[in-house]
Amino acid sequence: MIGSLCSCIANAQDNYEIQVYGADTVAPKTTMLELHSNFTADGTKPLPGSKYAADRLYPTNHAEHETVEITQGINNWSEVGFYIFTSARNGDGWQWVGDHIRPRVRVPDSWHWPLGVSLSTEVGYQGRQFSTDTWTWEIRPIVDKTRGRWYFAVNPALERSFHGQTVNQGVGFSPNAKVSFDFNKCISGGLEYYADYGSLRGFESLHNQQQQFFPAVDLNVSPNWEINFGVGVGPTAATDHLIVKGIVGRRFDWTHHRAGSSGSIQ
Amino acid sequence: MNRREFIAKSAAAAALGAPFSAKHNLWAQASADVHLEIAPLKLEIAPGKHVETIACNGQVPGPLIRWPEGNPITIDVVNRTNIPEIVHWHGLWIPSDQDGAMEEGSPMIAPGTQQRYQFTPQPSGLRWYHTHTTAGHDLKRGLYTGQFGCFYIEPKDERGAYDQEIFLTLHDWNAYMGAATDASMDASYDYSTINDRMLGHGAPIQVKQNQRVVFRIVNASATVTHWLGLAGHEMTVVAMDGNPVPIPASITALRVAPAERADLVVKMTNPGVWILGETRDDIRKAGMGIVIEYAGCQGEPKWIDPPEVLWSYRPFAHPESVTVQPDHQVPLLFESKFRGHGDFDYWTINGKSYPETDTVML
Repeated sequence: MIGSLCSCIANAQDNYEIQVYGADTVAPKTTMLELHSNFTADGTKPLPGSKYAADRLYPTNHAEHETVEITQGINNWSEVGFYIFTSARNGDGWQWVGDHIRPRVRVPDSWHWPLGVSLSTEVGYQGRQFSTDTWTWEIRPIVDKTRGRWYFAVNPALERSFHGQTVNQGVGFSPNAKVSFDFNKCISGGLEYYADYGSLRGFESLHNQQQQFFPAVDLNVSPNWEINFGVGVGPTAATDHLIVKGIVGRRFDWTHHRAGSSGSIQ
Repeated sequence: MNRREFIAKSAAAAALGAPFSAKHNLWAQASADVHLEIAPLKLEIAPGKHVETIACNGQVPGPLIRWPEGNPITIDVVNRTNIPEIVHWHGLWIPSDQDGAMEEGSPMIAPGTQQRYQFTPQPSGLRWYHTHTTAGHDLKRGLYTGQFGCFYIEPKDERGAYDQEIFLTLHDWNAYMGAATDASMDASYDYSTINDRMLGHGAPIQVKQNQRVVFRIVNASATVTHWLGLAGHEMTVVAMDGNPVPIPASITALRVAPAERADLVVKMTNPGVWILGETRDDIRKAGMGIVIEYAGCQGEPKWIDPPEVLWSYRPFAHPESVTVQPDHQVPLLFESKFRGHGDFDYWTINGKSYPETDTVML
């Protein structure tokens, strides 16, 4: 998820990549290509007499955000992801929003840890009309566990602005979490949680925090595909109130080995 | 195993296979032909790299049992571990109470006790022995350990169309399950070995130009299907699972599943120092390989990726189809029930899971 700034302070648009990370990384010699499509059905609206919402940001209401995420596996414990954020809204056309880069490392399997653990860091730029903070940095610990039909993931992310409205606010706390249940081999469903509590120096009131709950479905149709759908409700004032999200990802194995062959690990 | 080790083990095996005599009629009183002692072992698979395991007679693989076809054998097995154990004689046609499979009536060997097995090994060919205990969720037990060895039953008409015979066992060590994702349902391993050493850390197999070498290979891994290639050479499959194949055929890479065996003949026509090893880089780098060294050749062992192969048994089969009507047909419907991406599937045969499965009556 891109570096959302404390919404209560900056009212940043962080609904470009809405995803709770799992601890696994993309395999070496493999590229994951994902398209994140998020439509804000009920978001921020223009101020009277202006095309902008508060803080001279583009409104999110009825905005379609398309994000391309390209992740390259480096080895069996690291990867690098790259994001291209775009936004389309009636009257504004389709606009480039910004880019982020996200290196990630994980605890190798050979360490035999009982939980999946990885650490992601993300840095990048968003245009001023889409975020009151343009250059941001995030560090995201990731812990997950699959047990029977249940899957748990927690991402207690920390964020920092380097240029923009909240640059003096210090580090913000933006935890994400996910719980899902395997209904069958192909369909899993659960709840995803995204929040931005504000600066670690002092959390905002609940009213001013960003809080989103996404009932979501994952379709496990193939090891090479990743499909996720969800509808998010934001009950607090600082949150877009209704978002529909979808993720479609395709894994490309560049080793050209056929499954089951003498060169394949499958 | 290198040539010196092979000669040493063959000598021991020859002793095991001493001429059959009347004393075999006094099994109950006489000493056994073979003694196996199951005990914990700290095995060094590379300098300074050890695995804690259980093995037979303090070695991995256990001693080669080489025995003439048709001759009775007596084997005493002592269990020096603190858990019940059992030894299964894999691929042999022997009574179920001697077969070493507890599911079929062979008794477990209690800790600190001894069990005597008596049978006439048949059919001839490459068989093997291994523990038959169930590991369950304990990846330090059962076939995850080093409790296995080769059992070669010499055919009465052994032609010996080879100059050197090498027994190789494949094994993967320190199994563990990952923390998350579907991949965690496959055991992963820290190390792999051929016989008891990781690639580059054992004595090389010494060969001479134009020698015909037979490699008798057992995949003793608990879960991993292995692919083997011999850089710079082709291999001819002459037997699978110990049984001669109808049509020996040349291959560039061998696929061998857990418990599967293959006898390969290689004519040594490419002098150098080569690697016989896993075709997949990650497993070979984890140790699954052994160096083949021609007489008079030195240098770094070379690995060459063989052409990618999709395995088929068809090249070794009679080209014409054979239709044989069975005496009985026993329908067995294997099904699995999904229990979550974080658990193993629940498997059933005809709707029942072992040990509740129905006994097949013939």
